[in-house]
Amino acid sequence: MNGQQMEMTMKKWMMAAALAGAGTVAQAETVAVITPYLAQPGTQMYVEGFEAAAEEKGWDVNVVDTAGDVAAAISRIEDAVTQNVDAIVINVDPAQVAAGLIAAEQAGIPVVGMDAGSDPLLAANITSNGYAMAAETAVYVANRLNGEGTVVQFVFDAFPPVQIRGVIADAVFGNYPDIEVLDRITPDVSDGGIADSRAQMEAILAANPDPGSIGAVWAAWDQPALGALQAIQDAGRGDEGIVIVGMDANPQARAAIAEGGNFEASMAQDFEGIGRTTADTVGRLLAGEELRASVIYVPTQLITAANAGE
Amino acid sequence: MMNTLRQSGTLLGFLAIVVFFAVQLPDTFLTARNLINITQQLSMLIVVASAMTIVMVMGDFDLSVGSVASLAGVVAAVMFAHDYPVWQGVLAALGMGLLAGLGNGVLVSYVGILPFVATLGTLTVFSGMAFVVSDGKTIYGKDIPAEFSGFARGGWAAEWLGQGMKIPNLTIAALLVLILVWVILEQTTFGRRLYAIGGNREAALLAGLRVKRLRLLAFGLTGLGAAGAGLMYAARVASANPTQGSGLMLDAIAAVFLGMTMSRHGEPRVLFTLVGVLMLGILDNGLTQMKVDSYIREILVGVIVILSVGVAVLTKRQR
Amino acid sequence: MRKAYAGVPALDGVDLTLHGGTIHALMGENGAGKSTLIKLLAGVVPADDMVVERDGRAVSLTGPTDAHDHGFRFIHQELNIVPSLSVAENILLSHPFPRRFGLTVHWKRLRAGARDALGFLGADHIDPAAMAGSLGPGDRMLIKIAAALVTEDDGQAPCLYVLDEPTAALSGQESEMLFAVLARLKGQGAAILYVSHRMDEVMRICDEVTVLRDGKRVAHRAVRDTTKRTIIRDMTGRDVSDAYPPRTTPIRDTVVARVADLHSPHLSGIGFELRAGEILGVTGLAEAGQSALLGLFTGREKRRSGTLEALGQAAPKSPAQAWEAGIASIPRERRGDGLMLEMAIRSNVAVSHLNAYGFWASRTREASDTTEMGAKVRLKSSGPEQPVGQLSGGNQQKVVFARALLVQPNLLLLDEPTRGVDVGAKFDIYTLVRELSASGCAVILTSTDLPEVLGMCDRILVLNEGRQTHLLPRGTMGQAELLDTFYAKEAETT
Repeated sequence: MNGQQMEMTMKKWMMAAALAGAGTVAQAETVAVITPYLAQPGTQMYVEGFEAAAEEKGWDVNVVDTAGDVAAAISRIEDAVTQNVDAIVINVDPAQVAAGLIAAEQAGIPVVGMDAGSDPLLAANITSNGYAMAAETAVYVANRLNGEGTVVQFVFDAFPPVQIRGVIADAVFGNYPDIEVLDRITPDVSDGGIADSRAQMEAILAANPDPGSIGAVWAAWDQPALGALQAIQDAGRGDEGIVIVGMDANPQARAAIAEGGNFEASMAQDFEGIGRTTADTVGRLLAGEELRASVIYVPTQLITAANAGE
Repeated sequence: MMNTLRQSGTLLGFLAIVVFFAVQLPDTFLTARNLINITQQLSMLIVVASAMTIVMVMGDFDLSVGSVASLAGVVAAVMFAHDYPVWQGVLAALGMGLLAGLGNGVLVSYVGILPFVATLGTLTVFSGMAFVVSDGKTIYGKDIPAEFSGFARGGWAAEWLGQGMKIPNLTIAALLVLILVWVILEQTTFGRRLYAIGGNREAALLAGLRVKRLRLLAFGLTGLGAAGAGLMYAARVASANPTQGSGLMLDAIAAVFLGMTMSRHGEPRVLFTLVGVLMLGILDNGLTQMKVDSYIREILVGVIVILSVGVAVLTKRQR
Repeated sequence: MRKAYAGVPALDGVDLTLHGGTIHALMGENGAGKSTLIKLLAGVVPADDMVVERDGRAVSLTGPTDAHDHGFRFIHQELNIVPSLSVAENILLSHPFPRRFGLTVHWKRLRAGARDALGFLGADHIDPAAMAGSLGPGDRMLIKIAAALVTEDDGQAPCLYVLDEPTAALSGQESEMLFAVLARLKGQGAAILYVSHRMDEVMRICDEVTVLRDGKRVAHRAVRDTTKRTIIRDMTGRDVSDAYPPRTTPIRDTVVARVADLHSPHLSGIGFELRAGEILGVTGLAEAGQSALLGLFTGREKRRSGTLEALGQAAPKSPAQAWEAGIASIPRERRGDGLMLEMAIRSNVAVSHLNAYGFWASRTREASDTTEMGAKVRLKSSGPEQPVGQLSGGNQQKVVFARALLVQPNLLLLDEPTRGVDVGAKFDIYTLVRELSASGCAVILTSTDLPEVLGMCDRILVLNEGRQTHLLPRGTMGQAELLDTFYAKEAETT
C-alpha cells in the first residue's frame, strides 16, 4: 500500500465515520416521494411519518409536490427514473400515473404506494384496511342494538374505497336476522356531504315518528354521521338512544364523540403509521426482500368517548 | 448591436441552463432518454403555447386555454364513459374547443371586450362547465378506453437512439401542431394578416384587412389547440378531472413572453415560443434531478421569466 | 453638437448661435437632423459630444429637468397632452400645482394660472376646466403652447423657446394668434428656435435661418437677404421647383363616383360627381369634416340619407370592401393609422395586396412588388426588409403610397397627404398623384394647405362644420378668396 492509497483509505473511513447512524459505508439511498396533494392534511402526515422513518435509516429523501397537477406527477416520476433513484414513493392514484410507473418498471426501480390504491405496477401499497374498519363499526352497531332493531346506512358506491365499506356493513347487518336496514342512502357530496345527509335524515325521521323506530345510523364516513346527528338533535329526538357511527375520525367527529351524545364511534387511520410502514416496506425492498402481499395494512383504531380526546 | 444582444440574451441564458445541468448531472441529463422524456413531458405545453402564440401575434391574450383544455378532457371522458367510440369523443372535444375559442373571438372582436377581461370571464365559465359535465368528479379507470390512454404511452420505435428507445406519440403530436402553427403564421397570407394586426390594428383595418373576422378565427384556432392539449393531458393521465388543465395557461403565456424576447422586434414567433417552453421544461426536469425543493423551483422559474423579459425591455430602451 | 445613432451620424458637428430677441428658423428635409438637435437641447437623449453655453457660461444638459431649469421651453411636434385631464392641469403639468393648506390642489388658482397663460396667447375661448381630450387638434396645440408660456413663480422669464412644427395642426386664424405671441416674446428679449416646413411662414416671421442637411449645417443666412428658392436649394442640395406639377392629360368622361344630397352624422348637403382622372380637393377650416367625407367611401362614416355610388357599386361598408372595390386610401395619421412601424417595408406595402397572393404567403413576391413600387414612389431605404419606423416622415408616407399603388386603384383617397413631409418628398408625392390621375385614377385630396389645394386640384369642395358650402372649379380664385369662403356659412356658387 503506497502513500496515496493509504490516504484514500483514510478518507473513506473518515467519511464513514461522518455518516453517523447510517451504519453503512455505502452511499445513502435516495428515495423520491411524489404527490400532487401535499397541501392536504392527511398527505402531510403520511409524508412526515415517512421522513421521520427515512431519517433514521439515513436515506436521502426528495419530496416533490406538483400542486394538484397529475401530469406533472408523471413527469417528475420520469425525472426520478432518469436520476436513477433507488426507490419511488407515490401518493396519487396509480392508474392516473401509469405512464410514469411503466418507465420506473423498465428501469427496475421499485415504486411503493403510500395509500395510493393497488396496482400491478406498484411493488406494494400501504394503506388502512377498509374492510376491517367497516366490519368494526358495523359490529359495534349490532352489539349496541343487541342484535335487534333498525339501521339507516349512508353509503357512496361510486368511490371504490368507500364502496367496500358499504359492502361489509351490508354483510354484517344481513347476518343478524333481527336487524332491519331501514334505508340505504347515497348523499349528494358536492357540498361536503353534511348538509344533504342532514336533509335526508330529516325525511327519514319524519317518516318514522315513533321513538325507538330508528335504532342506529351507520355512515361510511364522518360527514353523513355528523349530518344525521344534527337532524336528530334538531328534531328533539336526541334522547331516544339512536346510535350513530362514522369513519375516519376527523376532528369534528372526534369532538362530537367526546361529548358523549348519539355519535358514539368512528375509526381512526394511523396516517403517520402509514408513512412509517411505507418507509419500512421500501427498506425491505431495497434489502432485496420479495414481498408476498402487495397490499400492506396498518392497524386502525376504534374511537369512542373513552379515547376521542387523545 | 444592442438588438442582437437583446435577441440572443435569452438564447444564451437557455444555453447556460443546459450547460449548467449537463455539468451538474453528467450521467443523466444529456442522455437520449432524458431528452425524449422532456419532450414528452412538455408536449401538452408546446401545443397550448403554440396555440397561444396565434392570438398573441395580434397583441391579444387568451386566459381561458387552461379551462378549455380541462373541459375538452372531461367532455371526451364523459363520452367514453357512455360508450361512444374514441374517435367520436375526440372529435366532440375538439369541436367543443373550437366553439369555445370562437366564443372568445366573438366577445373580443365583435362585442369588443378587452381580451384580458373577456377570456378571464370565459375562463371561469368553461371551468364551471367542466365541473358540470363531469359532476365535479375525476373520470378514470374502466371509463377511459385503453386505446385512448395507450396512445400517450406508445411511440415510434427509434432503435438508432439506443436500445428500446421510442419517440413518444405525444412528442410527435406536439411537433405536428408546432409545424402546423408555424406554417399558418409564417407561410400563409392569413398569418401575415395576423402579424399586420399585431403591428397596428387600426392601420391594418384601414389597409383593408377584415380585422374582426381574422381575430375571430385566430381565437377559434387557439381554442382548438387548447382542446387538443387537453386531450393529450387526459390520455397521459388516463383520466380527466375538471381542473387538470389549469396549470397550462400561465406557463404558456410565460413561454410566449420568453420567446418574444428573442425575436427581432419583440413580436411572438412560434419557434421562439418553443425555445421558451423548452427553457421552462428543462428547468423543471433538471432541478427535480438535482433534488431542488419544488417550491424553490417555482420561485426560480418566475425569476428567470422576469429576468429575461426585463433584460430585453432594458436593452430595447437603450436602443 | 454631435450625435450618432447605431453608428450613423444624425448630427455631425453642428453649431448654432441663438440671439435674444430674434426668431431663428431651423429648416431641413425630414431626416436632416432637426428633431435630433431639439432632443439634444431638451436633454431627452444624451449627446455624444455637445457644448451648450448660455451668456458665455457652460450649461450642462443631462436630463429634461435641466433644460427646464435653465429656462428652455419646448413645444414638440407630437401632440403630447393627457386627454383625460383638464386643460388647466395640462397647462401646468410640469409645474408644482398650487395647493390649499399644502395638501389638496387649489383648483381655483390652478385654473387662474391656466387662464393667464391662455389669455397671453389670446386663446380666451378655451375653458380651463374642460377635458383636454374633448378639444380639437388646433385647440390642443394651443394648450401646449400655453403650457410653454407659463412663467415660474420666481418670475424669471424663460430665455429660449423651441417650437417644432407648431402650425401643422393649427388653422390660419390660430396660426396668426401664435405669430402675435411670438412677436411679443421676441419683444421681451427671448430667443426663439422655430422649426417648420412652411416656407411662407418662415419668410414672414423669422429673422435668421439655419439649414441642416444630412446632419450638417449647410447654410446660415439672414432671412431678409435670402429667397425661398435659395433655402430650398440649401435643403435639397438641388434645384427644386416649388411649383406644382401641371396637369398634362385631360379629365376623362367616365363618372367614377356620384354623391347626391348626402347627410351623415358629421356631414350635410354633400353632392358631387367625380370623373376618372379628376382630382377633387376638399378643404375648409381644420376639422370641418374632411376626414368624414373620405370616410363615406370606406364605410367609416355612415350615411343617414342621400346616395353614394363609387365605381359602379353602392357605398362600401368597410375599408376591406373599399379596397376590394378598387378604392385605396391613405389615412391622415400616418404613424397611428397608416403604418405598422416595427414591421418591414415589405409587410407594410403588401398588407392590402395579400388577397392577390392567395393562400400561401410569398416573401419573394412581396419583396419584388415592394421594390418595384418603392422605385415608383422614389422611396429611399436600405431595402424592403428595413423597418418602417427607421424611415423619415416623407419616406414613411411614400411607403403608404406604395401600398396604395400596388393595388392599382381607380379611386384614391388622400387625407392631408403632405402633412409633416419635407419639400423634396412633397414634390415626389405631387408628381405621383399627377401620374395616377393621368392613368385614369380619380383622386379626392383633403388639405388645409391652400397653395397645395389650388395647385393640385381640378375642383375644390369647401366644407364648413360638415356642410358643403362651395364646389369651385379650378382657377376661379386665389388664396385670399379661397380663405374667405371658409368662413361663409351658406353656399354662394356651386
